[in-house]
Order: sequence, then structure tokens, then C-alpha cells
Amino acid sequence: MSMTTQAELSRRDRLKTIRREAGRALGAALIALGIAFVIVLFTSKTPLEAFNVLLTAPMSRPRTIGLWIDDVAKLTITGLAFSLVFQARQFSMGVQGQVYVGALAAAYVALSPIGATWAGLPVGVFCAMLAGAFWGFIPGIAKVKFGANEIVSSLMLNYIAIELCNFLVRTNLPKPQPGVLTTNNFPETAVFPPLVDGTRIDLGLIFALVAVLAVWFALYRTSWGLKLRLVGHNANFAEYAGIRSTAIMVSAMTAAGALGGLLGSMFVQGQTYGYLTVLFEGNLAFEGILVAIVARSRPLAVPVVALFYGYLRQGAQLMNLRTDVPSEVIGVVTAIIILLVASSFSMPGRQFWARIMGRPTTAPALEAQK
Amino acid sequence: MIELLMTVLSTTFFVTVVRTTTPLLLATLGGLIADLGGALNVALEGMMLVGCLTAVIVSVFAPWYVAVLAAVLAGALLGGVMAFFHLRLKADIILVGFAINILAAGGTVFALTLATGGDKGTSINLTSKAVPALDLSFLDVIPGIGDFLVRMLSGHSILSWLAAFLVFAIWYFLYRTPWGLWLRGVGEYPAAPEAAGIPVNAIRTWSLLVSGGLAALGGAQLAMFNYIGFTRDMTAGRGFIALGAVLLGARHPVGALLAALLFGVFEALAVVMPGLFNWIPAELIRMIPFVVTILALFLFSYRALQARRLRSAGH
Repeated sequence: MSMTTQAELSRRDRLKTIRREAGRALGAALIALGIAFVIVLFTSKTPLEAFNVLLTAPMSRPRTIGLWIDDVAKLTITGLAFSLVFQARQFSMGVQGQVYVGALAAAYVALSPIGATWAGLPVGVFCAMLAGAFWGFIPGIAKVKFGANEIVSSLMLNYIAIELCNFLVRTNLPKPQPGVLTTNNFPETAVFPPLVDGTRIDLGLIFALVAVLAVWFALYRTSWGLKLRLVGHNANFAEYAGIRSTAIMVSAMTAAGALGGLLGSMFVQGQTYGYLTVLFEGNLAFEGILVAIVARSRPLAVPVVALFYGYLRQGAQLMNLRTDVPSEVIGVVTAIIILLVASSFSMPGRQFWARIMGRPTTAPALEAQK
Repeated sequence: MIELLMTVLSTTFFVTVVRTTTPLLLATLGGLIADLGGALNVALEGMMLVGCLTAVIVSVFAPWYVAVLAAVLAGALLGGVMAFFHLRLKADIILVGFAINILAAGGTVFALTLATGGDKGTSINLTSKAVPALDLSFLDVIPGIGDFLVRMLSGHSILSWLAAFLVFAIWYFLYRTPWGLWLRGVGEYPAAPEAAGIPVNAIRTWSLLVSGGLAALGGAQLAMFNYIGFTRDMTAGRGFIALGAVLLGARHPVGALLAALLFGVFEALAVVMPGLFNWIPAELIRMIPFVVTILALFLFSYRALQARRLRSAGH
């Protein structure tokens, strides 16, 4: 006879939640891919080949696997940054801007005399995180001091950071020859060493994994994290409980900014570039919204979602190169997944399928239906 | 400096301001309607972008007014999608808005590729039409100020006149009709109109439909007057600036007009400045509208906050 302890019950409950959320996410992804397939079917001359490339190409060669894993590391970081602010129920959309200022800071360090020493790599990463944190701090402090809406101010800061990067790359940073919009290559001491030779998998992957654990620890094993989640759940209640919710909001946005800055340094100090160029991030930063939403802002789920979504992203890039279907079709998939996962959508016809299979409708199915 | 002053005070600058303000104003009015209904519409950017593309593609095959109408319908459709997911499926309005933006950014490029048969960036190979400008040169006959009036008022897009009229129409709707009162009530405190038997969700749905239509109308002006044709991401943050203008405009149509005009002036400055000061880097000039928006937002929010504090201290 077994005693069902409280811990055992909560563990089962958590497993049930995970299974339900994973089912919803997969269902949403399948529906989105189905819609994308219909679109491709009507618009492409070789729809089957296009879809084949989308779904199998990233696994086909070591080089493409490298591209995929590199994307996963970056998607993980931006997903974590969005998860942090979403858990505090702030809608700061500034990761893109933080990436650019972070990359600028990293580039200035890497191209300074420090860059050529052993300190080039760590100081570059640190300064990038500092710059990103500052960029994330601005909308936070403006919100609590002035009541300025953080969505608008963070979006404006994105555009400002992009133009700042364009400006400094063109006029200020050292260039191989005048007129080009890229800086000199960083010295080797400032570039992340590759983990697997000949691919883009580099130290950034380790940073991403460490960041996952750090964010998880901060959110679920520190009092700051508890306060942050309380503020996100109900800011008024948190205030009554004596938590200074404004300080928590600002610190959450600043911490997310540091992650954005780290992503900036992962771009320019990583194997992908090793130099700074204009408009380098290819709209990856905003993909963090999808990753965070599908992962329900849970840091441990973020890399899993990033793994799947990164695959899809790479597949779309390769489909763009090899077939007549443009990679932008993935934007449709992304949007549908966000819409479905963020809403109270549940797997369609769960009861219907259960009836077909001759099984009674189970409790989780009913719960998901709500 | 004198040159800048001369330029700013000239009638051609005024015409430029009207041109840059019109898309912003239309999108701001759209954001205002959604905001009054209780939904912060962060999808203005995506709706404008879809409006741009729809207007350009339809205008290849149809007269300009059909293209403008199609753009409005496309925007309203996106508003309907937002309403469905937000009201029926209870998704967070901000996440839905960003999903719409992502859909628009990718979807427009995808649709453009199909329409042009492979061009991914621009619609340069499509012969799209323009919204005609209203010719008021007959005002010339007025003695004394006729010439000045013609230079100030003639040559604006028809949509600019429509936008100015809409400011008045929306004001009338909000403050002089029962439906306007309902809309404001729904945004202010939904439980009260609900208890009074007013269909809250229907009103919210309508506000999002109108919001999308107006934002897309702004997009049509952008792609059929300010520029002729579509380029990817051509709205370049104007939808987000309009969102700032909504917050700045104190939830009033005239406030929205003033806020849109403020940002329109600075966008116009960014248009004329490269010709005047070629030593100022282009990147910094392009930054101006965004810097002005964020500073104005901080300043205005701070003043509103202080006003609220004063009011609560008075009680």
C-alpha cells in the first residue's frame, strides 16, 4: 500500500501540465504547418520538394546541423530574455535593440588593445551585457518613474539602436577599406572558440545552457524570482504583501537586457561573424516572443522549444535557397503558432477522436477543453 | 540655421508635413478607437504594412479608389482576426498584436514574391497607381491671399482631406452619438455597460475592425501617395510611432491630431534636412522621429502622472 504524499501529487500534477502544454504546442505547430503546406501547395511549382527541404534539410549535413544548433543557442537566449519580462507581465520588446548595443560594445572592446589579449573574450561579453542591461533599464525606469508605456519606448529604442549601429560602423569603427559596412575582423583572442571544428557551434552554446540554468535558478530558487513571479501574477497583491513591484519590474527588464546584450556578443564574437556589420541579426531577436510563449515563459522549456523552432527556421532558410518558396512563409507559421498557443485553443476534436478510438474522454482532455 | 528656418516656414514644408502626417494620423485614429474600446492595438504597424501591399497590388488591376477600399477591408480583416483571438479565444491582446505584426512582415514579402513572380524586396515591376491630389487652383481668384491659399491647400492627397474630416467625424461620433458613449464606456469600465445591456464584445469587435481599417488606410496613403509602390517593411516603425501618438494624444481625436502632427513635423524635418545639412550623418537624421517619439512619450507620461498625483492629493 503506497501513501500518496503531497510531493508525489504535485509531481504528477506537474507532469500532467507538461504533457498538456506540450500537446497544445505540438497541435498548434501541426495546424500551422498544415496551413503553410496548403499555401505552398497552391503557390509553388514543386510543393512536395519544398516541404521535403523544409522538414529534412537541416539534418542532412554536418554544416547545416551546425547552423541549426547555432540558431538554437541564439533563440534560447532571446527566448529567455522574453520569458523574464513576460513572467513579470511586462511587455518590453527591446531585445532587438539590446542585441545591437551589445554587439557595438563587444566590437569596441574586441577592436581595442584589450581585444588582442586573453581578456578580449570575457571583457567583450561583459561589456555587451552591460550595454544591453542599460538599454533594457531605460524603458523600465521610464515606466516606473514617468508611467511611460514600455512597449512603445522599447520599440523606439530598437530603431535607435539599429541606426546607432549603422552610424558607428560607417563612421567610427576601424574598417578594412573605406566604404564597406563591416569592421575589421576581431583578433582571435576575442572570438568564441568553436566547440566542433568546421561548424558554427561555438562557446555561445555553453553560454546559452548556462543562461538557462541561471534564469531558472533566479526565477525559482531565489526570493527575487518569487517576488518577480508574484508581481507578474498580481501586482496589486504583491504591493499589499510589501513587495516593491516597481523595483522588481525595473530589475526584470534590466536582467532581460543583459541577456539581450549577451546575444549581441554571441552574434559578433561568435563563429558566424567574428566582426561587426550592419543589420546582422536577421530578425532573430523577435523570434524570442514565439519561443517564450510556446515555452509558457518557463526557462527550462525554452531550449526545447528553441530546438524545434530553430529547426523550422533553418529548414525555411534552406527551402528559400533550394526551391521557389521564400523563407518568409515561416512568418505565417510563427504567427499562427503564437495565436493558437496564446489563446485558449485546445486540440480540435479531442473528444471526437476519443470516441472514434472507443475510449472514454479522460479528465485531462476535459480540462484542456476549458 | 537661417536656411532651416526659411525652409520650415515655407509653404512647401507645410505640404511635406501634411504628406508625412497623413499616414501617421490615420493610424493614430485607428489606435485611438481601439484604445477607447479597451485594447492597446500594437498591430497598427502590421495593419499599415498589409494596407500598403493590398493597395499596391489591387491598384495594378483596378482604379485607385477600389485599391484604397481593398486596403481598408484587408486591415479590417486583420482587426477581425485580432477580435476573434482576443475576445473569443481569450488570448492576450498584445501577444495577438505581435502575432499580426509577424504575420504581416512575413506575409507581405511572401505575397509580393507571388505577385511579382520572384521579386522579394520591391514592387518596382508592378505599375501601381497613385491616390490623386485635390487640385484647388481655382482659389487663385481670391484677391490678395489667393496665391498663398493655393500653395498651402492645393495638391494634398484626397486621403489627407479625408483624414482631417475623420478627426471631426470621430470626435462627433465619440461625444455626440450614443454609440460613441458606449465605446468610451466599454473601454473605461466594461462591467457598467455590460450591466446596462450594452453588447460589450460586439462593440470591442467593431472597434478593432475600424482600427484595422483606419491603420490600413494610412498604409494606402503611404504606398499610393507618399511613395508609389511597395518595399518590404516600408512602414519602418510608423505604426509604432502612431501607437506612441495614441498614448500622447490623451485619448481624444484632437489630441491624436496634434500628436500625429508633432511626429509628422519631425518626419518632414528628416525629409528636408539631408538637403540642407549634408554634414549631419543620414543615420542620425533617420533617428529623429524615434528619438522625438520616446522623449515626447516620457515627458507627456510624466506630466500626466503628476496631474494624477495632484488630483488624488486634492481629495
